[in-house]
Amino acid sequence: MKRFGLFQLGTLDFALSLQQIQKVIQDSKLYQLPRLPLAVAAVLVDNDRLVPLLDLSLLFGGGSTTGTKTLRYQILVESEYGTVALPAELTGKIVAEKKGTLSTEASPKEAWVIGEFDYQNTKYKILDINFLAIEMTQNFWRNKPDTSGARRHPL
Amino acid sequence: MAATTNKNLIFRLGGIGFLLDLDHVVEVVEQIAEILDPSRSDIGRGIVSALKFRKTWIPVVDPALKLGLISSVKIKEKTALVLQGIEGNWAILVDQVVELSSGEHLRLCDTPFLLKVSAMGCYSELLLLNNEPLVVFEPERHYGSDFVPV
Repeated sequence: MKRFGLFQLGTLDFALSLQQIQKVIQDSKLYQLPRLPLAVAAVLVDNDRLVPLLDLSLLFGGGSTTGTKTLRYQILVESEYGTVALPAELTGKIVAEKKGTLSTEASPKEAWVIGEFDYQNTKYKILDINFLAIEMTQNFWRNKPDTSGARRHPL
Repeated sequence: MAATTNKNLIFRLGGIGFLLDLDHVVEVVEQIAEILDPSRSDIGRGIVSALKFRKTWIPVVDPALKLGLISSVKIKEKTALVLQGIEGNWAILVDQVVELSSGEHLRLCDTPFLLKVSAMGCYSELLLLNNEPLVVFEPERHYGSDFVPV
């Protein structure tokens, strides 16, 4: 049975496959490093390893790096390229796929979305965490669709 | 695990903690306003000023420029760390010297794979002290024969 973690950040309601979520931490101390990519707000330390915190506010243009750094919750998510942290405003819900409606249609405008999960009249965008991890940490991030789709990952 | 047995100087620059092997350090100069001459700069070599040290002028490098850091401390209010170099003494400007630390409290910490590209040219080693990442400051990246201007 597939389950999703549902979270909120500003106007963005997003979902992650529960298999990808390592943990949710609260009030983690955030640090800067020289020449962090623009879409990486900070790094945090978890069990002696550094984890880049992605600035998800860039996905909806509704915030800033500063805002991302003041959020209380960070979700540690496993990508193919290593663990990344995502900011969230609330500790999320864990919901089984059958409790909502899943659509795996890719969004032509949002290359970082691999589907949508409709739960209690809220549409949660399912994030392509591998795409975001690479795009946001390697300074590729443009907040525009990648027309080639070469780096997209299926749900 | 202890990363090194040497004594290290910990300083802050642009809000980031750095660690420098004390073997590199000749002297820490805290009051530099009267002995700094910004007109003697050579930006192409990363030199932002000259510092009068032991009756001679030595080059001063601001690592914040190469590292892309924004410091809120004015240049004349910074602390100069005079370092040994192949071509003689030179100095770096830092915001604040924090403490001396022995290696026993430091833990090795890998640079995450996703940040390796952004770290390239800036640093190659990170250590943890009290769960805070410190960047190991490598003087040769900033001045001397191996220096590559950005």
